[in-house]
Amino acid sequence: MALSLDELKAAIIDKATTAPKPQLYVKDFYACDPDAKPRAIKNAANELVKEGKMVFWSSGSTTMYAMKNRAKDEETREA
Amino acid sequence: MPKHDTPLLDQLESGPWPSFVSDLKRQAEKSPQCWDILGQLELSFKDRITHWKHGGIVGVFGYGGGIVGRYSDVPTQFPGVAHFHTVRLNQPSSKFYSSAKLRDICDLWEKYGSGMTNMHGSTGDLVLLGTTTANLEPLFYDLTHDLKQDLGGSGSNLRTPECCLGRARCEWGCYDTQALCHHLTMHYQDEIHRPAFPYKFKFKFSGCPNDCVAAIARSDFAVIGTWRDDIRVNQAEVKGYINGDYAPNAGAHSGRDWGKFDIKKEVLDLCPTGCMSMSGDELKIDNSECTRCMHCINVMPRALRPGKEQGATICVGAKAPILDGAQFATMTIPFIKVDPENEFEEVIEVIEKIWDWWMEAGKNRERVGETIMRLGLPTFLKVMEVEPIPQHVKEPRSNPYVFWESDEVEGGFERDVKEFRKRHAQ
Repeated sequence: MALSLDELKAAIIDKATTAPKPQLYVKDFYACDPDAKPRAIKNAANELVKEGKMVFWSSGSTTMYAMKNRAKDEETREA
Repeated sequence: MPKHDTPLLDQLESGPWPSFVSDLKRQAEKSPQCWDILGQLELSFKDRITHWKHGGIVGVFGYGGGIVGRYSDVPTQFPGVAHFHTVRLNQPSSKFYSSAKLRDICDLWEKYGSGMTNMHGSTGDLVLLGTTTANLEPLFYDLTHDLKQDLGGSGSNLRTPECCLGRARCEWGCYDTQALCHHLTMHYQDEIHRPAFPYKFKFKFSGCPNDCVAAIARSDFAVIGTWRDDIRVNQAEVKGYINGDYAPNAGAHSGRDWGKFDIKKEVLDLCPTGCMSMSGDELKIDNSECTRCMHCINVMPRALRPGKEQGATICVGAKAPILDGAQFATMTIPFIKVDPENEFEEVIEVIEKIWDWWMEAGKNRERVGETIMRLGLPTFLKVMEVEPIPQHVKEPRSNPYVFWESDEVEGGFERDVKEFRKRHAQ
C-alpha cells in the first residue's frame, strides 16, 4: 500500500540526507515508495521545495533535488 | 574604451556578415560587464577551453526552471561576469508580440541584467543573458506583475511549447497550432516550472507537413498537421500553371530564369512515391500513396490544397543535440483529431500515456526517443496501444520492428533457443 503524503515526504528527506550524492534525480526517490506513482513522488518532492526543506539544483539541462545544506553551489564554491 | 585587448575576436568583425563582437562592443558602452564577456571569450579562444561553469541553486522561489546559473571560473580577472545567469522567458504562441512589448522587455533587462539577449532560443524562448543572483527575484516580480509574462522551461522540465504561425498567417494550417500551444502551456504549468521527468521533454506544433518549427527533428512530441481525405485539386488552375499564367512556388526562387514551367520535371517526377500523373491535361493523384511531403502543394498553391478532413499526425522521440546522436521522431499516431471543443482531450491522453511510461522506464538523462530505442519500438507501440503498420518496419526481414509472440498466434508456440541454435548456423 502506498505511503501517506507525510510518510512519503519523510522518506524523501531521509533519502536526500543519507544518500552519498548530495543532488538526486526525481527518479532516485521512486524507491522511497515502490507502490506510489512517479507523479505522486514528484509532487511530494516539489512540496518539500515549497516548504523550504529542499532546493532545486539545476545544471541547465537537468534539474535535481537536494537538501538545502548539502547542495553543491557554484556561487559559494571557491574558484 | 575597450577594457581588454581582443585581437582574435576583432578578426571576427572583418568578415562579410554582421558580427556579434561588434554588437557586444556597442552594448558595452551602456553595460560595462560586456567588456568582461569579450575579455573572457578572448581568453577562451586562447586557452581553447570554456571559462564558464554552470550549475547551482539559483532560481526564483518555487520554480525549478527558467533560469540557468552561470559563473566565470576566472572571476578575479573578469569581475563583471562573475555571475552571469541566463533567464528564459516564455514567448507568446507563434512569437507574435507588439514592438511596445519588446521595448518593455529590453527596458526590464537593462534594469536588471546586461541588456544582452538571444532572440530566440531553440525552443523559442526570449533568452536574456547575464544577471546576478540578487537581481533574480526583483526581475521576476516586475516580469510577472508589470509585463504579465512568465518564465519558460529548462532542466528536466517540460520545455516551453512552441508552434508555427499556423492559421494566423498560413492557409495550410490543418489545425489551430496557436490554440493547442497556448492550451497545453496553461494546462501543464506545473510541468513547465518544476522538474517532472528523467530529462527534458519538448512539444512542438506545426500546422502542416511543411513543419516550419522542425517539430519532427527537434521535439520529443511533434504534432504535425495533416489530412486524411484527398488533396483538393483545381484542374483549371493546374492548366494555369502549365500555361505559365502563374509563377510556380508562389514566385519564390524567381531571382533567375529557370525556363518555362515543366509540370513533369518539377512536380510529377519529384513526387517521392510517384503517386501523380497526367491524364491528358488533367492531373491525377493516387491519394492512398501520398506521404504528405507537400512538394506539389508548395509548387502549385493555387491549384492544390490539403484535404478537408484535417487533424494531425503525432511523431515521438526526436532530439537534436549539438554534439552527436541526432534522431528524427517516429510516427506513432497517424491521424488524430485536434479539437478545441473538448479542450484537446485526445492529444492530452496521448501525452500522458507517454509520460506515465517514460517516467517509469526512462533512465536519468535519457530522452524519450532514447528510451524507445533502448527498449524497442514494439514495446513502445504496445504501451501506446497502437497496432504496428508497414511504415513502422525499417528494413523488412533483416531488421523487423514487428515480432509475433506466442499468445498472439493461434495455438501458440514453444521455442527452445538452444535447440534452435544447434540446428542453425550461428
